[in-house]
This record gives sequence, structure tokens and C-alpha cells, in this order.
Amino acid sequence: MSPSQQPSSPNPTHLKIRFARRFLRALNNLNITKTSPDDDDDGENRVYRRSRRVKIAAYTAMASVVGSRRAWSRAVLWKVRNRSRNRSLLSVRPRRKRVDCKITNNDHDHAKVFVRRRNPNPKRDPFRDSGQVLKLRKLVPGAETMDSWCLMDETADYIKCLAAQVEVMKTLVDLYTTT
Amino acid sequence: MSSRRPRSRQARVSRITDDQIAGLVSKLQRLIPHNIHTTHSDKVSASRVLQETCNYIKSLHREVDDLSERLSELLQSTDTNSAEADIIRSLFM
Repeated sequence: MSPSQQPSSPNPTHLKIRFARRFLRALNNLNITKTSPDDDDDGENRVYRRSRRVKIAAYTAMASVVGSRRAWSRAVLWKVRNRSRNRSLLSVRPRRKRVDCKITNNDHDHAKVFVRRRNPNPKRDPFRDSGQVLKLRKLVPGAETMDSWCLMDETADYIKCLAAQVEVMKTLVDLYTTT
Repeated sequence: MSSRRPRSRQARVSRITDDQIAGLVSKLQRLIPHNIHTTHSDKVSASRVLQETCNYIKSLHREVDDLSERLSELLQSTDTNSAEADIIRSLFM
């Protein structure tokens, strides 16, 4: 009995290429808007804000490449969207963030139906709140309310995508330091 | 029939849970860098794997911070354009 079918894990090279494309596009946009300096910022604050924007662009690019297939990418995109909404002083529409495992129908280009095992009973889930697992829940976005199985699954995918993101960023840094 | 208690079903479900969690833990073990586990090869406890996973994720976050700082400094001087994207794609192929 296989209670779950996984979406096929993305080829890492494809992942890197797609991430690189989106990240570069975002950096391009950042560069265009950054040309007007803020006079009320001192140097350090400006540097900090710029690096923070690059970091957010990186995480957003990776999350949007993965799309809504994964709970962690949904959580990242939701957080970023919420933050930008709060910043521009718009009213925040109440949105239900669904991070518990249920049957998800994905209608994006990777249209696959995958069923996650529903395990809300904490008695059957011995690892749910043990020490290391709690730390892991804080590190992986969107993982606070999952059961252990989904958490492990999300962590594995998150690590793969994060490692790919770091490699692409390293390549970019090397490229820009040499030219 | 009191013999048909959910106890057997519960035992079966918890066995499945343990096996699947063990499978995922071993999957995580393959993903994190291997140089940590040189002393004991396959008898690594789940808690150790989880701990290494947490450390690895934290180190990846730190690297992203550091790299984004360097990138933001480097981007001041250079301009990104579409030619660069093609260069990078050719780097990956």
C-alpha cells in the first residue's frame, strides 16, 4: 500500500537554469530601480537594504520556479507577498494558508495529482514534536503544522532547491568578480 | 467481536509510519554532505540525521545571506543584461 505518490523531483540542472533566469530578471529590475539613491540613508543602511532585496529576490525566484507544488514554496511566496502588501499600506486580504497535507490538485504545467497521507493523530506520529523536529519546523518555511512524514518530504525538497540556489548564486558571484 | 480491536490496525499503521519515516530519513541522509558521516557509515541515528539537516539548512541560509551581500556589492558596478543570461545558461549546459 503506497499512501502517497510523489511528483517527480526536478532535474537539478533544469532547476538551476530556471532559477538563474528568474533571478537575473529580478536583479535586472532591482538594478533599474536602484539607480536613484536614497539621500536619507547612510551607507551601511543602504548596503544592508540592497543585500536584503537581493536575498528576497533569490528566495522569491526559487519559490516561484517550484510554484505551488510544495508547501514551502507556497509559504515563501505568501510571506513575501504579505510583506510587500504591508509595506505599501494596502489592506491585507485574509488568506487561508493551507499547509496541512491534503489532496492537492495542481493545475500548473506539471499537472499531477498527488495524494498526501493524512495523519492528524499525534499518537500515531511519534516524531511529531521531538526536539530536533521542532528545530526543523522552524527552519523549513511552512512546516509548522505538518505531520512528520510531510515534514521530511518538504525538507528534502527544500534542501535540494536551496543547494541549487546557492550554487547558482556562487556561479553568478564568480562571473561578476572575474569580468 | 472484541478481538477486532484497532490495536492491530494501529500497530500496522505505526509500523508503516516508522518505515516510511526511516526511508525519508535515509533520503535526507543522502542529501546532506557526506563528509560528516565518515566514522559510522550506515548506522546513523535519526536524531543525528535531523541534527545534521538542521545545521546544513542553517549553513545554507548563511551562505545565501553572504552571497546576496556580495552580489549586491558587485551589481553596483556591472549591469545585468540578456547576454549574461545566455552566458550563464551556457555555463550550466
